[in-house]
Amino acid sequence: MRQDHNLRDLERIATKLRLHVVNMVAPSGQGYVQQGLGAADIFTSLYFAEANMDPDNPKWADRDRIFLTTAHNTAIFYATLGERGFFDTDRLSTYVTDGSELEINSSERLGPFVEATCGSLGQGLSVAIGCALAAKRQGRSSRFYVIIGDGEMQEGQVWEAAMLAGAKGLDNLCLIVDYNFVQSEGTMDKVMSLEPLMDKMASFGFACQDVDGNDISALLNAYETARQTKGKPTFIKANTLMGKGVASLEGLMFHQLRFPPEVANSARAELEAQL
Amino acid sequence: MSKTLTQLEAADFINRSFKPLPRSYGDALVEAALEDERIVALCADLVPPTETDRFRDELPHRFLNTGIAEANMIGMAGGMARSGEIPFCHSFCAFTTKRVLDQITMQAAYPNLPVKIVGFLPGIATILGVSHQAIEDVAIMRAVPNMAIFEPSGPEYHAAMVKMALEWDGPVYLRMKRPDTTPEAFTPQPLEIGKGVVRREGSDITIISAGICIPEALTAAKTLAKDGIEARVIDMASLKPIDENLILESAQTTGAIITVENHSIIGGLGSAVAEVLMEAGIGLPFKRVGINDQFCEGGTTSYLMNKFGIDHNGIEKSGRDVFARKQR
Repeated sequence: MRQDHNLRDLERIATKLRLHVVNMVAPSGQGYVQQGLGAADIFTSLYFAEANMDPDNPKWADRDRIFLTTAHNTAIFYATLGERGFFDTDRLSTYVTDGSELEINSSERLGPFVEATCGSLGQGLSVAIGCALAAKRQGRSSRFYVIIGDGEMQEGQVWEAAMLAGAKGLDNLCLIVDYNFVQSEGTMDKVMSLEPLMDKMASFGFACQDVDGNDISALLNAYETARQTKGKPTFIKANTLMGKGVASLEGLMFHQLRFPPEVANSARAELEAQL
Repeated sequence: MSKTLTQLEAADFINRSFKPLPRSYGDALVEAALEDERIVALCADLVPPTETDRFRDELPHRFLNTGIAEANMIGMAGGMARSGEIPFCHSFCAFTTKRVLDQITMQAAYPNLPVKIVGFLPGIATILGVSHQAIEDVAIMRAVPNMAIFEPSGPEYHAAMVKMALEWDGPVYLRMKRPDTTPEAFTPQPLEIGKGVVRREGSDITIISAGICIPEALTAAKTLAKDGIEARVIDMASLKPIDENLILESAQTTGAIITVENHSIIGGLGSAVAEVLMEAGIGLPFKRVGINDQFCEGGTTSYLMNKFGIDHNGIEKSGRDVFARKQR
């Protein structure tokens, strides 16, 4: 079941998710806060508007499936799942504590709404393609969304998978790169550039769109275009800003951010003021 | 003229005879797939060498040549298994295990999905050399939780491999060998998961083996019998889970054990048997026959098995050695 929210509602949800990210990462004083803030609009638009799913029946065979192949971007992922009703948001406070199923790399032991255990980068797209091929074979109308990291696209398996998706014209597949331009050791251009990424993906047979990944309306339009596209998989280059939504954090390009209490407190206050 | 062309088309990496060979694994898989529509087959561009040509031709909508991209093949199989299908993934042993270990652990074994990994060219059994030989695959796959490993001792056991793969509710590795020639008529003994099969009775020593070393072990046993050494020969087709009871019972009744494998002596069948014996507190004359922690080379299988000491000659020698140690 697709949710029906207007744009203002969705933006408010995104802010709420960002507040969760800050609250979840703050206790450990470091973590994937920048990526979570940056990707909040992708998660909001997918889970609260685009995807057809039922939190009361997460194994529903005809659901749309969303694969987070950058499985470490969990603060925003778990905040989204909790707010969407897959589990109680009280559990978010156990994030990255010993014994918690809310591990820093998401695992399907949390529940079937973790569609595949990724974390070892570059694998999720292949799994999504396997599901997409099976769905075609089974006559299902489900769609398959993959959120991949830009640095992750350096993995060779991603290109094996992209080659197959393009060659088979898998139009039930939508690959979204969270293009925040940072990987572990620095910015993409310093480590190993993916550019020209749009040309690369087009040459692999994808219908490509370049959008502002922090503009929910633009993202929704991109998904709509993807749904209308027949005979080709879609690639959405979603340009996101690290730390989006918190003025003091926006544009700080750190894969792991030190997140001392005073910074967390001011971020919290800033986000609460937006709600 | 047309006959020559047919022969050229039929050539592949394994069948160098230009004669049609039985496809007992491929036939069994097609027959199983006709019964169970969940079964699909993936192949990383090695269709005749993995006996999947009939599946490709008769069930094209359930067959996918993934291209030469094994990592993606295993990942996709994980997705298909998550969608209610039972994917059989085909390539050579070296490429369906070593090359894709991470994909196997994360997308098949950890989620305990019915992904069936089917490798051909087991151990040193190929002219294609070190790149295509898998002498460490059993060691690697044995260490993966949820994984079962089965290896047939000849084409007459290929149909049983498909059955066992389907019976195991989780990921499986089948270590297959395409026959070089049409085998003689042979009635196989029933195979079961977690059970070894006594292929020859004997009370002096036990030879525990699997795969293509079984015929060699049976030949060695005949020779040893001429000198009064009666060897029990066990086909451990279920490498994991392994038949602990049969190992312990054989230790008690024969008092000496050799293991024989087309694999490194490290981590494979020999190690598995040693683990069972040691944990039961049993010390006895024991010898692992296998590839002695070295890389091999390309060549005919009989040549390589002799050169690297896993043919009947090597087995016979080790059989005499453990028997002599037992007499001391």
